[in-house]
Amino acid sequence: MTETEIAGRPPAGTDGRARRRAPETGREARVLARRRRRRLAPYVFVAPYALFLVGFGIAPAVYGFYTSLFTDDTDAGTTFAPLTNWGEVLTDYRLADSARNVATYVALWLPSMLVLIFAIALVLHARPGRFAAAMRLVYYVPGAITGSAAALLWLFMVSPQVSPFSPLLDLLGVENATEAVSGNTPLILALMGIAIHAGGWILIVYAALAALPRDVLEAAVIDGASSWQVAMRVKFPMVSRYAALILIATFAAGTQVFVEPTVLATGVPGQISSTWSINQLAYYYATQQGDFGKAAALSLALLLVGLVVALFVIYRTKFYRIDRGLS
Amino acid sequence: MTTKGGQQRARHARRVTGCATAGLLLAGCTAPGASTGNGDNDEGATSLTVWVDSTRTPGVERYMEEHPDVDIRMTTIPSDPGYVLTQISLANQAEDGWPDVVFLNTPEDVASLAAPPFDFAAPLSELVDDEIVDGFVEGSLSGCTFSDVLYCLRNDIGQTVLWYNQALMDEFGYEVPQTWADYGALGERVAAEHPGYIIGGLSGKWGAGVYFESSGCPTRDVVDLTTVRIDTSDPGCVRAAELLDPLLANGSVSTLSPSDPAFAQIGQENRILMLPAASWYGEHRFKAAYESPAGEMAAAPMPTWEGEDVPYSGSVGGGAFVVSRHSAHMDAAVDFATWMTTDVDHQSEQPTYPAFAEAAEAWGAARAEDPFYAEDPFPVMKEQAPLIRDTFGWVRYANEWNNIFNETVVAAAGSPDPLIEAVEVWGSRLTEAAESTDYEVTR
Repeated sequence: MTETEIAGRPPAGTDGRARRRAPETGREARVLARRRRRRLAPYVFVAPYALFLVGFGIAPAVYGFYTSLFTDDTDAGTTFAPLTNWGEVLTDYRLADSARNVATYVALWLPSMLVLIFAIALVLHARPGRFAAAMRLVYYVPGAITGSAAALLWLFMVSPQVSPFSPLLDLLGVENATEAVSGNTPLILALMGIAIHAGGWILIVYAALAALPRDVLEAAVIDGASSWQVAMRVKFPMVSRYAALILIATFAAGTQVFVEPTVLATGVPGQISSTWSINQLAYYYATQQGDFGKAAALSLALLLVGLVVALFVIYRTKFYRIDRGLS
Repeated sequence: MTTKGGQQRARHARRVTGCATAGLLLAGCTAPGASTGNGDNDEGATSLTVWVDSTRTPGVERYMEEHPDVDIRMTTIPSDPGYVLTQISLANQAEDGWPDVVFLNTPEDVASLAAPPFDFAAPLSELVDDEIVDGFVEGSLSGCTFSDVLYCLRNDIGQTVLWYNQALMDEFGYEVPQTWADYGALGERVAAEHPGYIIGGLSGKWGAGVYFESSGCPTRDVVDLTTVRIDTSDPGCVRAAELLDPLLANGSVSTLSPSDPAFAQIGQENRILMLPAASWYGEHRFKAAYESPAGEMAAAPMPTWEGEDVPYSGSVGGGAFVVSRHSAHMDAAVDFATWMTTDVDHQSEQPTYPAFAEAAEAWGAARAEDPFYAEDPFPVMKEQAPLIRDTFGWVRYANEWNNIFNETVVAAAGSPDPLIEAVEVWGSRLTEAAESTDYEVTR
């Protein structure tokens, strides 16, 4: 029941086959033309996205794949060696460290952020009013500072000399930024990631909650459900698939983390390796070793991981089942 | 399978799509201020594209004034490690946009630029007069030289000296140590009698360059462009690690990075009793960042290691100029790089110790009267300049050398295990780093 309601009704024109045929042959041509236009409409809407996807997503990936097949050798010059780069990249001594760093970061960041997003969105929705509206804005504010700016900001936050949180850092025994960052980089990046990304998702989940049918929620209350029960048993299951959406959208961003550790490293020289994350390692191959083949291979490997996880999440959560059910 | 067709195909495809890839990487196809017409040889006018950091820009302006016939297009580049390699890498990919001359703030980059796949640095042996080459401080061009071929001209050198606070040393009744054994013993006394004062710093390239390199621990001993010697079981490594063990435990040697604000605070509170560090620390760190009181700092020769009587220096920093092998005006480019490194008037005004001997004398004379120092530091700097250990070469894994040192040796500073264990881990990871940058590693 709820699924159709969440999805809303399909656009009227998309199901042309279901419409009754016009009886007069004179009007048939016009009807056919209109039908053709309607059939084409979705493609026109999708076209800008598709063009960008091909130009800036698929084409570079294909070129990256092509590049990854060649090696530059001191003696032999450019050589077609389809597996060499892949083999060297996957056995690189830095990859295990980078992968562990990124895995720790994603493991700290994603679950805690998911819990936070849903907790705050459900609380905001349970007590609507001016206060909740103000808080929605407050939660969104940190998200306005992203990427490199956020990394700089956090560099100040963890430097006891200048941080507004220096009493807290004192309490933790942190005497300088080097101590704060070395060993805690995943934690700092996770905190930064939550601050940057949570606000936007809270708004989206809140909007989804606001679109829930009131009659269902009222029925639950009339049946004697407490606020907690309404939140956990009724509202959460109806918006839970947003968790999958958040996972898919942020997992790739998490595994491809680049800007934050790069900027953070400039403040504490020598404390964060320039190959801290996998994406940084790929960048390092291209820019510091001049080896675009290896860089392409590693970037594609990252892309594959992102794709596999996205597909896994989509199929495990039956993410698209509503659409399939309606078509 | 190597085919010329394959190579050309790859080249072509790269040229066509190179911009797209580069654009995705850095949101820009052309390197900043790149000369777009290196190949277009304008009749008459000689135009050079040069990339220098902000410290070098007044020098370039002066060259422009003195050489109105040369059209210099100067781009100021950041001094971030890796920046030059990134830009050259993109220019190589686009096969366009190389500078004619570039200043390296991290001179180790020349090891990458001289070798494939960069193949950027022009061999200078035939282009620079022997007389000029011989005028550089002894050993200062060894980093630029691979298999007897010169690939860069040194701007300044970062030989280490033993900086100390003369006023504090007198007040505490300490003598400046002449051997590392004395230095270690003094560290124990300082920790007991004046806790909170420091006699050294271990972090990063500063610590590794001072202790392990002056001791001759072979972690970057360049044999040629593709061979390097790494052996952390060498006695040179063991004695440095053993010296540091008690000093790290008692806190007289700090593990903070000298560029950390917390380290600057130690300086501002006047708690740096001694600091073995590069010659440029006087101007850049003690004067500017640590705000040491005037008339207190002085430089002493490096302590000697057991069984030796030469006070070997380590090395930290010191820039170099590289000429592009793609330059259409090779002679003008070499002339520019030579002027920047050897012009006595220009070099004597630089903040760092000039690599060209005659310029160094003039530089020293200009600083002899500086009231900031308790005594003129130049004679010591000059003495130490040719004494940089020859095991300290310029390698393609210099960045990892620094990072891995922090991740292993500095990270182990607080642990009760002997430091040499961490040094050996540093060595084995350096071997991996060297092999992944196309070196054959010998012991």
